[in-house]
Amino acid sequence: MTVSSLAVEQKPCFQFKANFLPCTVLQILYYNDAILEQQLSSTLSNSPSFFTDLPVIIDLDKMKSQDAFDFAKLKEILLANKMILVGVRGGNEAQHLSAVQAGLPLLPASKLSVTEVKPTKKEEPVVRLTKLVTTPIRSGMQVYAKDSDLIVTAAVSQGAELLADGNIHVYGPLRGRVLAGVQGNLQARIYCSVLDAELVSIAGYYLTKEDMLKSPLSEGMKQIFLDNEQVRIEVL
Amino acid sequence: MTKIIVITSGKGGVGKTTTSASFAVGLAGRGFKTAVIDFDIGLRNLDLIMGCERRVVYDFVNVIRKEASLNQALIRDKHIKDLFILPASQTRDKDALTLEGVAAVLEELSKTFDYIVCDSPAGIERGAQLAMYFADSAIVVTNPEVSSVRDSDRMLGLLSSKTKRAEEGQPPLTEHLLLTRYSPKRVARGDMLSLADVNEILAIPLLGVIPESQAVLRASNSGDPVILDKESDAGQAYLDAVGRFLGEEIPHRFIEEKGNWLKRIFNLKERETV
Ligand SMILES: Nc1ncnc2c1ncn2[C@@H]1O[C@H](COP(=O)(O)OP(=O)(O)OP(=O)(O)O)[C@@H](O)[C@H]1O
Ligand SMILES: [Mg+2]
Repeated sequence: MTVSSLAVEQKPCFQFKANFLPCTVLQILYYNDAILEQQLSSTLSNSPSFFTDLPVIIDLDKMKSQDAFDFAKLKEILLANKMILVGVRGGNEAQHLSAVQAGLPLLPASKLSVTEVKPTKKEEPVVRLTKLVTTPIRSGMQVYAKDSDLIVTAAVSQGAELLADGNIHVYGPLRGRVLAGVQGNLQARIYCSVLDAELVSIAGYYLTKEDMLKSPLSEGMKQIFLDNEQVRIEVL
Repeated sequence: MTKIIVITSGKGGVGKTTTSASFAVGLAGRGFKTAVIDFDIGLRNLDLIMGCERRVVYDFVNVIRKEASLNQALIRDKHIKDLFILPASQTRDKDALTLEGVAAVLEELSKTFDYIVCDSPAGIERGAQLAMYFADSAIVVTNPEVSSVRDSDRMLGLLSSKTKRAEEGQPPLTEHLLLTRYSPKRVARGDMLSLADVNEILAIPLLGVIPESQAVLRASNSGDPVILDKESDAGQAYLDAVGRFLGEEIPHRFIEEKGNWLKRIFNLKERETV
């Protein structure tokens, strides 16, 4: 059996996925195992479940002392308090050596979070404003909701165009062109009741009016979304 | 307070000038001092429809260029003493109009006139935009066909964004739909959009329906706006529309096929003989 035929036959056994695992950074200010153990248990008694199964990064950046210390003992204390240890960051070479000896991985000392696969600024929830249009959107007019959703409560004429980085909701008759997720958001959706659009598009995948006329839909609120690179319309 | 009305459409040849002339006559006939301005520079037409083409000496562009005073250029209507016409220039092109020039003329007219009716050129370019810029009301003239409706829709978009009122955040101008050259017979045959179809797309208040009528061509040829032909269907429809514009409640006419009852009887007979 050749290598290439092997590649054809075998299904991939893994894939990479970016993820935003919540993670707590434990900054060690100075090291004393007795004090650490005592303070941890008093913190724990205030909120017993807080640390349970919480991924923790041990951060040495705030530590004054340059000396290596007993990472094996530190590990033992944290594990006893039900924390999951992700690794160690910051510190100097001597400290790194003892961390590795205790079986703790080293993380880059930079500002990277544990989700190094894809560094991103958006760790905190971002509340985006929705663009709201209450007057008719006539032929020749274009409305673009940048970085947000778009809600239109009036009619959208033939020859008008709606664009949004997020979702689009139209409560009047929809006769123009509607493009949601124009920056490539595959999760973007379009909602409308009277669908007579010239074109609907999600993240660049689209249906023309001709496509839509091939399979007429019953009345009612409609949801337009992407399913396997295929734009689908569903009556809710 | 002077009211500036723009008669506009986007699409050409739908009846803007016919409407401007009849509306101006109608308003003046109700006792309002009215001026009607031809913004269609280079294609002047209004003076012909108003029957004053032989008395044109100076025009709108002369006034803007200060080559003549407004009083020298205004032509008094032959029928109604409170009606004046400011004709367009035949020789110049649309670029002869400037925003400042138009503003100055409208301001001066506003000192003495109750209504100023602006007959817009076709299209959505500069000329049409200047005609609508200062308007308080817009009469959108539409024929019952797809391309005219689409253009009117486009125009309504411009009216909501490219006027002084819109730019200065003042209350928006009032929009009125005037459906002209309407033929119930052709609607029934499916050759034309129905009133309901047009209303559904444009969704603005209906000022009136002007039927397709021989009287309009007759009126144009004689230089007496069709509203003066009180016997004609189109003349009556324009009278109604002016009344509605002034706030009167007048039921809509000319939207049903004529002699419907006759047809029904014939249909009945046909069925009997079958
Ligand atoms: N109700 C009507 N019935 C029959 N003919 C009409 C009617 N209204 C307008 N017309 C005819 O349509 C033609 C165009 O009318 P008019 O000049 O008023 O249109 P317009 O919109 O001003 O055109 P333009 O865009 O060229 O300025 C004329 O020949 C006129 O006689
Ligand atoms: Mg005209």
